[in-house]
This record gives sequence, C-alpha cells and structure tokens, in this order.
Amino acid sequence: MIEAQVLVIGAGPAGLAAAIEASRAGLAVTVVEQRETIGGAIYRQAVLGAPATYQPPAVRARWRRLVHDFAGCGITVRHGSVFLGIDGDGLAIVENRGTGHVEPVAAKAVIIAVGAIEKVLPRPGWNKAGVSTVGGLQIMMKETGRAPEGRILLAGSGPLLIAVAAQMARLGNAPVAVVEAGDPFRHPLTGGGLLAYPTLLAEALFYLKDVWLRGIPWLRATTVAGIEAGADGLVATLHDYTGTERRVAVDRIGLHDGIRPNDFGLSTPPGTSPVVVTAGDCREALGAVAAEADGRRAALSVIRLLQQREEVGTTAALRRERNAQGLLSELFAPVSARPLLSGLTDDTVLCRCENRTVGDLKALCGKEDPLSGREVKHNGRFAMGACQGRFCAENTARLMAELRQDAPAPSAVDLTGRRWPIRPVPIGALVCASDDTSKQE
Amino acid sequence: MPVSTPATAVIVGSGIVGAATAYFLTQHGVKVTLLDAVAPAAEATGAADGAVSVASKRPGPMMTAALSGVALYRELAATGLFSDIFKSRSTFIVAASNEECEVLHAHAAALAGAGVRVELLAAADVRQRFSALSTQARLVVEVHDEGHAIGYQIVHRFLTAAGVTVRRASPVRSILTGDGRCAAGVVTQDGEIRADIVIVAAGNGSAELLRLENVLTPRKGQLLVTERAPALNASMPGSIMSGRYLLSKGSQKGGVTVPRGLGLVIDPLRTGQFLIGGTREDHGSRQTNDLDAVGRILRHAVALVPKLASVRLLRSFAGLRTAVVDGLPLVGRIPGYENAFVATGFEGDGICLGPVVGRALASLACGAEPAIDLRPFAPSRFADHGVVA
Amino acid sequence: MTGRFFDWNGSAIPFREGETIAAALTGAGILHLGDDSVGSEARYFCGIGACQNCLVRVNGAIREACLTRAVAGLSVACVERRDHD
Ligand SMILES: Cc1cc2nc3c(=O)[nH]c(=O)nc-3n(C[C@H](O)[C@H](O)[C@H](O)COP(=O)(O)OP(=O)(O)OC[C@H]3O[C@@H](n4cnc5c(N)ncnc54)[C@H](O)[C@@H]3O)c2cc1C
Ligand SMILES: Cc1cc2nc3c(=O)[nH]c(=O)nc-3n(C[C@H](O)[C@H](O)[C@H](O)COP(=O)(O)OP(=O)(O)OC[C@H]3O[C@@H](n4cnc5c(N)ncnc54)[C@H](O)[C@@H]3O)c2cc1C
Ligand code: FES
Repeated sequence: MIEAQVLVIGAGPAGLAAAIEASRAGLAVTVVEQRETIGGAIYRQAVLGAPATYQPPAVRARWRRLVHDFAGCGITVRHGSVFLGIDGDGLAIVENRGTGHVEPVAAKAVIIAVGAIEKVLPRPGWNKAGVSTVGGLQIMMKETGRAPEGRILLAGSGPLLIAVAAQMARLGNAPVAVVEAGDPFRHPLTGGGLLAYPTLLAEALFYLKDVWLRGIPWLRATTVAGIEAGADGLVATLHDYTGTERRVAVDRIGLHDGIRPNDFGLSTPPGTSPVVVTAGDCREALGAVAAEADGRRAALSVIRLLQQREEVGTTAALRRERNAQGLLSELFAPVSARPLLSGLTDDTVLCRCENRTVGDLKALCGKEDPLSGREVKHNGRFAMGACQGRFCAENTARLMAELRQDAPAPSAVDLTGRRWPIRPVPIGALVCASDDTSKQE
Repeated sequence: MPVSTPATAVIVGSGIVGAATAYFLTQHGVKVTLLDAVAPAAEATGAADGAVSVASKRPGPMMTAALSGVALYRELAATGLFSDIFKSRSTFIVAASNEECEVLHAHAAALAGAGVRVELLAAADVRQRFSALSTQARLVVEVHDEGHAIGYQIVHRFLTAAGVTVRRASPVRSILTGDGRCAAGVVTQDGEIRADIVIVAAGNGSAELLRLENVLTPRKGQLLVTERAPALNASMPGSIMSGRYLLSKGSQKGGVTVPRGLGLVIDPLRTGQFLIGGTREDHGSRQTNDLDAVGRILRHAVALVPKLASVRLLRSFAGLRTAVVDGLPLVGRIPGYENAFVATGFEGDGICLGPVVGRALASLACGAEPAIDLRPFAPSRFADHGVVA
Repeated sequence: MTGRFFDWNGSAIPFREGETIAAALTGAGILHLGDDSVGSEARYFCGIGACQNCLVRVNGAIREACLTRAVAGLSVACVERRDHD
C-alpha cells in the first residue's frame, strides 16, 4: 500500500498545475502518469534527438514556465503507471506497468486530470487501418519529430486540423488537403468576437498563415462521407455543400470532430474519503490554458475540502476560456443541416471494439419499446468493448436520440456506467494487489 | 380463488421473474401491464452470473426446482426461443484441498442420488479433458447437462416475444385493495392501475411493498468480466466452480453466515470472454466494487486457471440478490389476497429458476396446475409477517 | 540511432531510443496491426491509450502499442496470432 497526501493523476497542464499549487501549499504530492514523460496532450515531448514540433511562442513559453515551476517543487512522478479508478473502499488503484503489479494508494485527496479524448463521428470505413485521429497523428509527430509519411488527408472539424496541417508542413510533409465540415468565413461577426481573445487569435493565425502560404487546400463546408480501401492505400469520398462528390486517394486519414472529457467510468467513492476532484479537460474540455487554471482551482478546492470547507467554483479565467471555446464552436459549426448519424448506411460501424453497426442499433431502437441506454448496451453490446465506450457511447446515444425524437435522450454515461477499472488491466497485475489477511473471508 | 383465466394482469418488476411471468401469462391470453421502478433487468437480473445449474444444490425442494429450471431452458433452447442465448455446457467442480475433496466426494454422491449425471475425473483425465486447469486441481467432478444464460438477454427475449412494452420509471407504491380479499390493482406515482390479478416480482423492492423487511434481505455479489480471449475460452469445455464454494454454502446452511463469502465461478462466455465471480456479502452497495474482493476472486481464479493471468479485466460490477431468511424463495399467493401473487427471494438462483417459476406462477394465476411443486415456497409460511389484506 | 531492433511477427523493426512501439511500426510502414477477434483491423488510432485499437502482444502480454516504449529484443506480435498457444 502506498500512502499519499495528494495524488494527482495525469501530468498534463491540469495535473502539473494542480501538483505545483498543492505542493506550494505544503501538501505532499505524488503524480501518476501512464507515459514516460510529462506534458500531456499539448506539450508532448520529442524523443532524444528529434526536432521539436512547431508551436507558437506563447505556447512554448507556457510550457517552459510550467516545467520550471514543477521542477522547483521536487514532486515525485510515478511514470508508466495507469490509474484504474477509486474502489469502494476509497483506494486509488494504479497499475504499475514497470513491475506489472497493481498498487493501491491510500490518499487523503485525489485530483483526476486525465485530459480529453477526441470525438470521431462514424463514417463508412472510419474503422480501417490507416485511419487515425488527427490528434493521434499529431502526438506521434510530436514524439518522433517526423511528419506522417505519404499522402495524408485531415478531415473533420475545428482549429486542431489547421494546427496539425501547419506542423506537418514544417516537418516536410504537408497534408494533401484539410477537409472542414464548418466554414468560419460564413461567420465574420463571430470571428470578430475572437478579437477579445488575442492569445487564441494569435495562435490561430500563426498556424493559418502557414496553411495559406503553402497552399494547403482547406476545403470548408465539406465532409468525408466514406472511406474505402484503394489499389494502394485508402480512397476518401468527399461531399461539399453543393452536393458535389469527389474522391481522393491517400495513404492515411486523420479524423477529428472536436474533443470531450475523458471522464469515462470515473465515479466518486461513497463516503467522504478520499476527497476527489476532477480537473482540466477531463472535467470540461476547454483546452490548455483553461486546463492549467483549472488545475490550480482543483488544488485550492482540495485544500478547502480537506478543511471541510466548500469546493472552489468556476473561476473567471475558466469562464473566459469557456466563452472563447463557445465562439470557436460557432465558427466551426457544420454547414450541412442534415442529421449527423441517421443518414449513415446500415453497415457503418458504430462500435468498433464489438463490431456493432448503425443497422444493429436501428433494429434495436426501431421497436415500440423505448429501450434505455443501459438496455441498448446490454442487448446491443454497444459500449461494451475494450475502449469502454470512449469512442462509441456518445455517438450511440446521439443516434438513439435522432431515431426516437419523442423518447428521453440517453447520455453516454447511461451506456458506459461508472465503474473501475476505467482501463482494461491484466488479471495477473490485480492478483498481486491484495493480501489475504486484510478482511475476513 | 379465480377459477377462470383472468383478462388482465399487472406485474410489478421486470427482472427475469417478472418478464418470464409476463411471457407465460401472455401465452394464456392474459393482457399484461408490466411496471418497473427503473427499467428491465435494472437490478439483480442485470448483474448476475447466469449459471443455469444444479451443481451446487443439495437434494431438496431447491434441487428439484432447479432441475426443472434447467430442463425448461433446454426445452426453450430446442424450440427456438432461447436457441442463441442459452449455452449448454458442463459445470466442473474443482477441489484443491483435502477438505474440499472430502466435501466434493459427498456432494457428487448426493447429486448422483438425485439423478444428476456426474462424472469423477482423476488427475490424468483432467489434463486430457480440461488442459487449462492447474495441477492444483486434485479432484474434479463434471456435472453434465448444465448451462449458462445472461439474465438481461433472457428478459429482452421474453419481452420481445410477448410483445410487452414495459412502463419504465414507474415505481409501484402499494397494492390497491378492492372488495373483500381481492386486490384491485396497484398504485403508482401516476395513479392507479387496475387489473384482475397482481403479481409482485420486485426483487428487493418486494420487501417494502409487502412489508417483508424482516423476511427478505439484500445480499451483494461482485462479478468480473474479461476481454475476449478466444483460444483460452475455446479450450475450456465448461465452467469451473471451486470446491470452496461448497464449503461456503455449507457454512451458510449451518447458520454461521459469514459477512463476506467468496465462491469462485469461472464461466467461459459465447463471446470468448470470461465471467468470473463472485462474493456474497451481507452489507455493501451495488454501486461499488473493491480491490480486496476483486483481487481475491482473481487470485483464486488464476490459481485454478493460470493462463487467465494474461487476460485483461474489462469491467467489474455488483448486484444485490434477494435472500429469504430461511433460504427458500417466496412463490405463491400473498396471504390475505385471492388474486395477488409474489415471486421473489431466489438469492443466487433466480436466473436458473426465473423461467420455470414464471411459468408455474402463470399457471397458478390462471387456475391451472403448476408444473413444479410450489408448496415449499408458499408465502403463507411468513403469514404473521408482512402485508395482509 | 542504429542497432536497436525489436521483433514484429518475425521481422526486425528498428526504433529510436524513447519511441513507442506504435511509432516504430508506423515508421516501418506497418499500419495494419492484425485483426482482432471480432474481425476489426487493429491499428494506431488515438495515440493516448484510450481507444484500445492498437493492442499488440509484448512478450506475451497485451499492451497498447501507443503507450509502450520499444526496447531492443522485445517480441511484439499481433494479439490473435499467439492467443494463449
Ligand atoms: C490527442 C490530443 C491532441 C491534442 N493536441 C492539442 C494541441 O496541439 N494544442 C492544444 O491546444 N490542445 C490540444 N489538445 C487539447 C488538450 O486536451 C488540451 O490542450 C490540454 O492538453 C488539456 O490538458 P489536461 O492536463 O487537462 O489533459 P492532458 O494534457 O491530456 O493530460 C492528461 C494526462 O493524463 C495522462 N493519463 C490519461 N489517462 C491516464 C490514466 N488512466 N492513468 C495515468 N495517466 C493517465 C495522459 O497520459 C496525459 O499525460 C489535444 C487533445 C488530444 C486528446
Ligand atoms: C452477483 C450475482 C450473481 C448471480 N449469479 C446467479 C447465477 O449464476 N445463477 C442464477 O440462477 N442466479 C444468479 N443470481 C441471482 C439472480 O440474479 C436473481 O435471483 C434474479 O435475477 C432475481 O430476479 P428477480 O426478477 O426476482 O429480481 P430483480 O432482477 O431484482 O428484478 C426486480 C425488478 O423489480 C423492480 N422493482 C423493485 N421495486 C419496485 C417497485 N416498487 N415498483 C416497480 N418495480 C420495482 C426493480 O427495478 C427490478 O427491475 C446472481 C445474482 C447476483 C447479484
Ligand atoms: S492508439 Fe488508441 S489506445 Fe493506442
């Protein structure tokens, strides 16, 4: 059993900021991180000798400050350790990948800062090898200092697509095109609203400039309607807002339809011990600046909660980032007014882990009986696979809502539930975790 | 006593028992209204292991009922209703210590005496028949003709076949009393629902509804599901039940109930996954699983099937069984009512017994002779407790 | 930066110190990591351990290729190929 005053899960901006703040307040902090490096999704570090990925000066400055402050605190980081949840006895459960053992941690407080995941809308063929998320492409690029090779198509929606296109170009392989479901140019007023957020605007222009200068096609109001295997690589079918269809042959495709909290399976333990607070993009996906601010808020909350006082509510910094993200969502809203999912062909895979299709869900929800999310999970095996619903629960809930407009709309958590382990864990690792004497048998 | 078939029925609870009763009543031509406080299979039925088994039973009324329960599953699998959701397989009871071997020998003899097809496997046979078992297995008893079914799938199948739409999120507050010794229906938050007969199959909710808090108690169980491991799964000819399970059941029978017992069952599922259980706990919420129990279940599992160590655990969950103080379920007419019935208290056997009890209850409610003997389960044995009209 | 290899289904895959198995396989042009037991193509997808699409067997243990660092001499294989042999 490991003991800790404050256990922070995740060494992204939220977790690092929380750890710094708690440590400065005199609490003993331990950080648990699944990877061998700190930084999280945005500040992913390159392997030895690889060039750093191109980022705006403000972003690099934020990282330098964070690393400096963190180093100054002398906080222990347990790398290669996967947090599995908090059990019914209030123990934080951590799988140490190095030793292959699960380690229970008795902590006074746990700050969970496991970040966001990308949303990917299903399209025919999205489940093929060679298709990944845009963030996935980016993370590997940051880690290796190499742009993905071959003909790359980035598709979906949002500013991340532009950032990754620019970063790829700087590393010598620009994508063949960026396919964007929205069209920011149709919302000049909203765009003007970004003037109130100069850092964000500067970041956007920083990447956009590169995309422009290098002539990377930014196909707005366009979607990838399907992906097939081609003679060599993949063929994407693009639909633009006029209904024109065209096909592009590529080697790899990156998809990204926004981000959402990676809060799957997280539950608050019964009783009051330990104090549990979520922070950063796993609480509300608002990006790196907000994550850092929220990490600090979480640490202050923990300090107050440990003194039996109230949690700190949303701060002004957070509200500001929320407004900024709201503007971005408006700017990048899909141009097509068609329902997102009910138009998909029946054989489109909805849940890749269990290989369940749109047709399977329609068959289950087409009847008079309005099944709950949990029943759909049970009887359709949606959200039952190894990703524990991270990439299908929200889409399944959304399609259910589209199919039965009169029934109450289910949410992703109706399908996934809230139980540990929040990630699959080898049984062999759990076998080492408990000792026979702790409770009466 | 209703001599003719009732026209309408209201059933409280859509676990396996309520769903099965709804299905069989529909077969009798009764129009059924099925209410659930949450949704179908929201409680024990949705969190059960699903052994359709007599392997752990001792001769007596439960064994007799369980034998009929297994037979009905086989019948419904053969006629189509359960063909793809009932997995026919043997149960292998494994003894790893002297004490377990002793109990298992006696147990096997008792099973055989009750007409169950059992086979004693010596170490060499075990390696041949069940290569995944560890050498710790000293004695193995194969109980033939058993099976496995997943509670929520059975419920879904019954409901779809019966064409019954469940009224979800409709907790029943009380039985509506009519003239004389008759129930007129039930009272819900949205008003009264009238019917010719009332059936309470509300699991742990039955306690409050019938004021049987002193008779019915919740008993928690924790269960685990792994990811798919098709090769290992295919190498297992049936489920494994640890001989320790019998010891723990034994201790219960002697009245020495432990607050937390562990009985290991490893079930290879059709999907290639494994279902591994479980605990019996007198306390605890169904919302939680704890590392202590999970670690212990899994350590025991790996001791018997070493290759499980490299399979990954995908999910844990927990449910609350409904136990009756004297260890036998409550099935039959509610004391004081002519036309109201209860079926609950199946503790760890409701998946096995649900369909056969649902069929018997439907017969009883329609004035026909039930196919199983319900007398040992008569609620009248607790007539001095609970609700009386 | 040379001389470091791990085994992937019988072929030697070079990698750089600190790289994940997924990065090394991608660098070697391997995008399809075998088919899993429901017939889905295993592949690198999310990069952060969330999607479980990149599962491989690392010295027999099932691991996310995107989270696991490459080490010289490792035996890495498709999940199915050696499922509990
Ligand atoms: C793939 C991806 C790429 C992104 N790229 C950018 C970008 O380029 N620019 C940008 O502004 N924003 C980007 N974002 C948005 C990003 O979420 C925020 O910018 C910011 O990183 C959020 O900070 P955080 O600390 O909340 O989470 P993260 O930075 O995601 O940090 C979470 C940390 O927790 C660790 N972790 C997760 N689960 C566990 C577990 N179970 N056990 C142990 N450790 C765990 C992760 O390894 C990670 O280090 C990206 C998001 C994703 C998902
Ligand atoms: C961990 C575990 C393992 C098990 N393993 C096995 C096994 O291997 N084999 C086996 O045969 N059995 C097993 N069981 C037992 C089996 O699950 C139960 O006996 C069976 O599911 C009981 O079914 P039921 O319909 O009586 O009750 P439940 O499934 O509990 O259903 C009762 C329903 O009534 C509803 N309800 C409650 N109160 C009200 C109200 N006031 N108004 C309206 N609705 C209400 C509830 O929402 C619920 O849906 C196991 C159980 C557990 C928990
Ligand atoms: S790519 Fe998603 S878990 Fe590895």
